[in-house]
Amino acid sequence: MLTAAENQLRVCFLTIKYNMMREMVNKVTFLTNICFMVLNNASFLVQWFILFRIRDEVGGYTLREVMLLWGLTASSFGLAHILFARVFSLPDLIVKGKLDSFLVQPKNVLVSVITSSTDISAIGDFLYGMVILCICGPGVSGFFLFLLFTVTGAIIFTAFGLLLGSLSFWFLRMDFLENQVVMGMISFGTYPDGIFKGASRFLLYFVIPVGMALWHPVHVIVNFHAGMFLAVLGYACALSAAAVAVFYRGLRRYGSGNLMEARL
Amino acid sequence: MGNTRGCMEQRVLFFYANKVKPFESAYSIKGEERTVMQAITVENLSKTFRVKRKEKGMRGSIKAIIHPHTEEIRAVKGVTFTVEEGEMLAFIGPNGAGKSTTIKMLTGILYPDGGRVEVLGIDPTKKRKQLAYQIGTVFGQKEQLWTHLTPNDNFRFFGAIYDLSECETEERIEELSERFALKDFIDTPVRNLSLGQRIRCEIVASLIHKPKVLFLDEPTIGLDPVVKENVRELIKQMNREEHTTIFLTSHDVGDIEKLCRRIIIVNDGQIVLDDSVERLKRHYQDKRALEEIIVDIYRSEGDG
Amino acid sequence: MGRCRDKIVSMNVGSRRPWRKYAVIYRSVLMENLQYAANVTMGFFSYFIFIYIFIKLWGYMYRTPGELIAGYTKEQMIWYVMMTEMLIFGSDGAFVARTVAGDIRGGNIAYLMNKPYHYTLYILTRYTGEWSVRLPMYAVLAAVMGTVMVGPLSGFRPKAFPAMAVCVVLGLTINAVFKLCISLFSFWIEDATPFQWLYDKMILVVGVLFPVEIFPRALQPLLKMTPIYTVCYGPAKLIVDFSPEKCLEVLAAQMLYLAAGFGLMVLIYRKGVKKLYVNGG
Repeated sequence: MLTAAENQLRVCFLTIKYNMMREMVNKVTFLTNICFMVLNNASFLVQWFILFRIRDEVGGYTLREVMLLWGLTASSFGLAHILFARVFSLPDLIVKGKLDSFLVQPKNVLVSVITSSTDISAIGDFLYGMVILCICGPGVSGFFLFLLFTVTGAIIFTAFGLLLGSLSFWFLRMDFLENQVVMGMISFGTYPDGIFKGASRFLLYFVIPVGMALWHPVHVIVNFHAGMFLAVLGYACALSAAAVAVFYRGLRRYGSGNLMEARL
Repeated sequence: MGNTRGCMEQRVLFFYANKVKPFESAYSIKGEERTVMQAITVENLSKTFRVKRKEKGMRGSIKAIIHPHTEEIRAVKGVTFTVEEGEMLAFIGPNGAGKSTTIKMLTGILYPDGGRVEVLGIDPTKKRKQLAYQIGTVFGQKEQLWTHLTPNDNFRFFGAIYDLSECETEERIEELSERFALKDFIDTPVRNLSLGQRIRCEIVASLIHKPKVLFLDEPTIGLDPVVKENVRELIKQMNREEHTTIFLTSHDVGDIEKLCRRIIIVNDGQIVLDDSVERLKRHYQDKRALEEIIVDIYRSEGDG
Repeated sequence: MGRCRDKIVSMNVGSRRPWRKYAVIYRSVLMENLQYAANVTMGFFSYFIFIYIFIKLWGYMYRTPGELIAGYTKEQMIWYVMMTEMLIFGSDGAFVARTVAGDIRGGNIAYLMNKPYHYTLYILTRYTGEWSVRLPMYAVLAAVMGTVMVGPLSGFRPKAFPAMAVCVVLGLTINAVFKLCISLFSFWIEDATPFQWLYDKMILVVGVLFPVEIFPRALQPLLKMTPIYTVCYGPAKLIVDFSPEKCLEVLAAQMLYLAAGFGLMVLIYRKGVKKLYVNGG
């Protein structure tokens, strides 16, 4: 069992390394993509400087907290897209029958699939998150909490993407839904939760997991709360388990692209 | 093995699935079965795809949401056959006959709806990973190699996937690159290789773990005649030296003639013929080429 | 023989009306896009989320009813964002970037530039055919969302609608011309998309999210000199708060920008094509 896990890790490591090598074939493109993504994210600071000129706080957040939120969103999203970029194009793989080569390998299908590509601009997102972390300097414990929440955030992003993407085994056009919802998560996740009230707040905590991925973590970094901390960890585990279960349930319905031909 | 078949030539030659069960065909001589290991056993295998039908335009989309109309497409309808260890089998049929669906169920890619599959005694639906260690697959139209890496790096990657130690991988690469004459381009990125070189590398990558059964889905598609011949020779050699069972699908009659002794023809999801290539030819003595015979069978089945 | 002469005559007639072929291109793209109109509605979800967030955000920022921020009421401020976002969502600026970069990198350009039309105009015509379907759909969505979730727009002047429409069309075209210019850099660099991001983000942060008046007074003249003023702010401001003087000012700026942008575009294209001939793609 242990050696099987070891071998799996070895393959993962190689896959990620080769993904990076593929992207680095053109070094100029690689570097400009990363740098421009950092700039891209930084441009939103303008928006927040403007808003904080009008009020001292927005939705109960200070500028520093908004920056922490932005940083955490960027680093979680970045980490998820560096390691598991394929989750976010899973519908395409499923509908077009591109899972075949992973299914004939004696390794975990899900792990092989989701690690099989990377998104270079996501490195820029991740770096931006780290830069914000250094600028905002939330103390030693805050620093480690931020890193931990980057991981849980990435897990929640990935699991949520996997859950929606796996629905492609049953429904068409999930690519569109997955993209829009994940992008929606980021849109919500870059604004303070205090501006949302009532039903929308409920929706953002329980249906689209922005609350657990991003808002709670920022609250915990600013003001440590053990219950909330554990809730975030528990949520990440539960969502992952659900997503994995749905993926494997759907895999039985996998059509290997034969459906595509029939559809024409 | 070849001479055991000689004594069966008096038996009925053609077994159409709807008339006689092909399972009881030329291969099942009583008493012989126990000594020959079955590499692949397929019994009454079937697969149905459910396809949503939608009318054109906005109205059709709304209709499809309110009242989805699904259609069943039975791609494979109760297929039964066995393949012996070390055999080279051609599994052919016209486009859309259910060849790929069958091969995908054998390799654990697709989940069958009914029937039983065993490859090397392993059920692909239950022990997919365990089976994967023992089989190799080459899908001529789908690439499994990383194109920005060299063949050498690719082989090492596949070595890792199949849990070979670096030393084992090294040895195997050495052996196969010798046999497949890859030495000249083993350190050139795959994207810079010619199609013929690539397909050789694809085959080597699928052989790195010494599979007992090799599934080849149109391995010679798009290759020039010389390279085709070369690839066939290599496959033959693999079969001879490592006793690898070869399960081949191809539209190229040359592949079938040069490689396989036995041929299974599927059409419309059913087996319409399961016999030796040699006898197929003898039966249709009036026709000169195997190609003509196959076209004839496809057509007569299509009409029926 | 006779038939042959007819052909030549009709060809001559064609060349006397050089814009006709663009009209034909426009019409065929329009027809094609009308067929896929249902696909446009898929973007409605994202638009809805953006606007929803801004309704909530400004709902929080405005504390008392009737309060003015930078001279805008809450309703005007939200309508402003709705209009600028409508322009962005309603015109697929990424279409220009994607197509041009794809044509140049994929080598398709070699075939397209030898056709009897100007490549850049061909792209702009197709782009216009795209937004002719999208924009009206987003306009309806915005009108419905605004009326239901924000309340009617008091500064809207229905009589000035034609003037607004002209400003919108010019704004969209200027945006496409600038995006095309950036994409044409693909003749020299492998991937121009990062520059597109930067341009888009500049438009978004400075033009889409806020009206110019909200920025520090010292910056405002500077912002009015950028294309943002003609692409987003101008048209949206006219819809939200129309005045004839403002309209003339915006139109004048748009004309200037369009001329400059066009000149720049043609210049870059010529240089790029020359480079292609020298290096053989």
